[in-house]
Amino acid sequence: MGSRKKKDKAASIAMIILFSVLAILIVLPVFTLFIASFKPGGDLLQYGLNLDLKLERMSLDNYVLLFTGNHDYWRWFLNSIVLTVLTVFCTLFVSAFVGYGFAVYDFKGKNFLFIIVLIILSIPLEVVMLPLYKQISGWGDNYAAIILPFMAHASTIFFFRQYLFGIPQSILEAGRIDGATEFGIFFRLIIPVMKPAFAAMAILNGMNAWNNYLWPLLVIRSSSKYTLTLGLNTLINPYGDNYSLLIVGSFFSIVPIFILFVCFQKYFVEGMTAGAVKG
Amino acid sequence: MKRRVLAALLSVTMTAAFLMGCGKDAKRETVATNEMEVEGDDVTTLKVWTFIEFHQKFYTDMAKKWNQEHPDKKVKLVLSNLSYDDMHNKLSLALESKEGAPDVVDIELGKFPAFMVGEVGLRDLTDVIEPYKKSIVKSRLDIYSKEGKIYGLPTHVGATVAFYNTDLLKTAGINYEDIKTWDDFKEAGVKYYKATGKSFATIETTAQWMINLMLAQKGGDYLKEDGSLNVNNEIMAEVLEYIKGMQDTGAFSVIPGGQPDNEEAYPCYNNGEYAVQIMPFWNTSRFVNYMTDLAGKVAIAPTPVWKTSDKEFASIGGGGTGTAIVASGKHADLAAEVMAYIKLSEEANKEVWNVLGFDPVNTEVWSDTEITQNADNQYVKYFSNYPFDTLNKIKDNIGSLGSLTDEKWPSINNEFCTVTLNNIFENGMEVKEALKESQATLENEFKK
Amino acid sequence: MLKRFFYSKKIAPYIFVLPFIITVLLFWAAPISNGILLSFQDILKDQWVGTQNYERLLSDKIFLKAIFNSVKYMLGTLILLIPFPLLFASLLNSKLMKKPGLFKSAYFIPALTSVVVAGTVFRLMFGEAAGSLANQVIGFFGFSPIKWLKNAETSYFILLLVACWRWTGVNILYFLAGLQSIPSELYEAAAIDGASKWQQFTKISIPLVKPTSVYVLTISIYAGLSMFLESYMLFKGNNSPNNIGLTIVGYLYRQGIEKRAMGYACAVGCILLLIIMAVNLIQLKLTGAFGKEEK
Repeated sequence: MGSRKKKDKAASIAMIILFSVLAILIVLPVFTLFIASFKPGGDLLQYGLNLDLKLERMSLDNYVLLFTGNHDYWRWFLNSIVLTVLTVFCTLFVSAFVGYGFAVYDFKGKNFLFIIVLIILSIPLEVVMLPLYKQISGWGDNYAAIILPFMAHASTIFFFRQYLFGIPQSILEAGRIDGATEFGIFFRLIIPVMKPAFAAMAILNGMNAWNNYLWPLLVIRSSSKYTLTLGLNTLINPYGDNYSLLIVGSFFSIVPIFILFVCFQKYFVEGMTAGAVKG
Repeated sequence: MKRRVLAALLSVTMTAAFLMGCGKDAKRETVATNEMEVEGDDVTTLKVWTFIEFHQKFYTDMAKKWNQEHPDKKVKLVLSNLSYDDMHNKLSLALESKEGAPDVVDIELGKFPAFMVGEVGLRDLTDVIEPYKKSIVKSRLDIYSKEGKIYGLPTHVGATVAFYNTDLLKTAGINYEDIKTWDDFKEAGVKYYKATGKSFATIETTAQWMINLMLAQKGGDYLKEDGSLNVNNEIMAEVLEYIKGMQDTGAFSVIPGGQPDNEEAYPCYNNGEYAVQIMPFWNTSRFVNYMTDLAGKVAIAPTPVWKTSDKEFASIGGGGTGTAIVASGKHADLAAEVMAYIKLSEEANKEVWNVLGFDPVNTEVWSDTEITQNADNQYVKYFSNYPFDTLNKIKDNIGSLGSLTDEKWPSINNEFCTVTLNNIFENGMEVKEALKESQATLENEFKK
Repeated sequence: MLKRFFYSKKIAPYIFVLPFIITVLLFWAAPISNGILLSFQDILKDQWVGTQNYERLLSDKIFLKAIFNSVKYMLGTLILLIPFPLLFASLLNSKLMKKPGLFKSAYFIPALTSVVVAGTVFRLMFGEAAGSLANQVIGFFGFSPIKWLKNAETSYFILLLVACWRWTGVNILYFLAGLQSIPSELYEAAAIDGASKWQQFTKISIPLVKPTSVYVLTISIYAGLSMFLESYMLFKGNNSPNNIGLTIVGYLYRQGIEKRAMGYACAVGCILLLIIMAVNLIQLKLTGAFGKEEK
């Protein structure tokens, strides 16, 4: 028994070492970015991106620039937050609505429709990008054109359907006996029990919305509506303080979403597990 | 568990509070950078797209002057800056779908012909250019023209010149004024390399500043006279073979980024890893802004030629930004008039030099020594000789390549900067073979 | 009447799936059919050209290179991003692992960074200059600086590196979720029967997370074949030297937007659609997932 414990301990240490190395490798680029955020942007051009700690050249200047400088960073930041929140809210609501329909009812054409969900799940947006752009270019310069086409989001619908398979039919029956409408059941009884699933999908969809680039690039026209990714990309030219702002701004763009992730991580794994693809 | 939720809430509120605070602040300040503040009721708002942030301040400064002189036609510019690729792509999409185009847009020379295909969505500017025309370098208007109509307002001449780091050359015992021909240039390179072990000048793979100059000097081009594709021609091969020969000496090498006007290349020059650039004149602004350590060490001189006895071009116009007006814009006429003033008036041309450091298209400015030798000017201060002395020497002999305005040019340019030059100078492919391959690729593309 | 409507179990499901039906018709079916029609036209000349766009595509060497690049990238990501995350997930899921949450958060950071940021960071890390991080590292081992993003092999390596960096953490979480839904009794029983950890992994974990694997496989194929932005950011634009970073979507973007050949680009889109459909069908057939999804 003693040797077994020893073996376990050795395995456990080996694993911690393995995962620590992996973690260091994965965090390394972000850490490089963090180090660079204390150096003048011009150094990036001069010496490339590296881990050199040159204390005499490092300062908080970039952060001062970020928080007090005359630039659009915070406008982009705010736009990104607005767009992300709107996207997540609309996508989750609509997709849960549809996913519920697929999960609890039997109706004519359901299989056919569900196959379409599966097909769309595997078609990249890029395939329809150009014709779709042509189609909606008349909508003007607004976020609706970014959000609306993808509200009924195939993979989110798929996930919610999986998740809702686990809901006991008795809840629905109890609701019907109490005289609730089919929609009342969804709003009052189902949405509350979907919290973990919402958390999981909020993180995934939030991540995508926060980092979305190509579609907003095509749709958005005025710079006052730029999101963070679009804005940061305009900084990739060495004019003025651009690189200083680019580096510190890039680093800072990770911070809020990371805090949210760490806080909701528990629910995330829980939700993913509950909705995991089951055979 | 509870602590976690609390922490989450706390961080969310903190971020939110902090955002609101900063958001407001930043908003108030950023108005200045992207939108002009104009007083008065009857002000026309013009949307402007640029891809070089540099140009924005120049535009707003000039627009303010316009407003002072024309109180009845006040304009307010709202500027958006996008990256080079993104801006041109968005413009082409917007013109395609007839939705969402700005009023005014800066189009880079290399992309300009792409907007001249089919039905042109830009306004003919011939009428607004008329008042300024006599003092403008004609070839710079021609490059933005099609069938006698001018669609772009030039920013500069972009005369190709040589920038020598005299400090470094001195250590190798080289006087840049002795370099007259490309053979001298090559020889000086070898001498420099022997003395210092460092590269003399760059071989280009992502641009064709030196290549186009050499080609034009030899009377070559990318197209035949009738406009048909002909990149695989004798003169082209001669030029590229010659450059290949330079590379083989070891004294010339490909700079990071593949050409001097590049964020990876600036530090190489700044650190003294290369000594010479053959670049259009507007590169002055890159020196002053990005290669600050070289102040006082750089001289501007005419580029080498093949044979001093021949009547060759001393320079060609390189690069450029044509400001265009979107024809379907509601205020297209006013926009055209304002932008013509902003870019072509004598006032504007002085500022093009003062602020941007470019060689203005209005050549009257070139001989105004009060401006060109102004000791307070940052560009005059930076270079070790007077930049306009060189310009005035080559003034009457600045040529151009015909193909630059052809609608095939963007594709040819793309093929050269991604494939052809890489094949030759990075992968060691034979010049003839690389040209043959690219000719075939391009033929397939134009075979519609 | 209204009351019956709200209470009807017959009508309700259609109301529930209605947003999806509308989305499909408006934002998928319409653009796809439009794209197919456009692919038989030359938009700039505004005329029908029959199958000319497709004929040109088949002899277009650059397009073939783009397909080759995309498929190569997709295969690379499949090889790296399915087995390893699965293995890491089972290790993290093991009882011997202390503080897995900490690692999970760390591994997830890359997925939270946008490709715009990630691409720029990697581009600068793998810069040509001797001072760039990658060149410093190989310099430490005595190698001279490499032009990482200028030759096919090293840039393929970097593209895969970015993919692994971004998606390892996400895939670990997918697999963790799948593994946690396997009842622990199964492992206990196997352990009593004397099965080694490795046997438990191959005989219990792998077969039972198959649905998750199929899901991850599907989205990896999808993401691999439609990759564009990573290359766009890494090469600072759509023009990589010798087109080593050009993908199918990159070519679609180049033709449709940069060169304004909308019809030709739509033909590229249609071919991409065909490739993806074909690959997915084969994949679903092989993994037998179709039958199971239907329940």
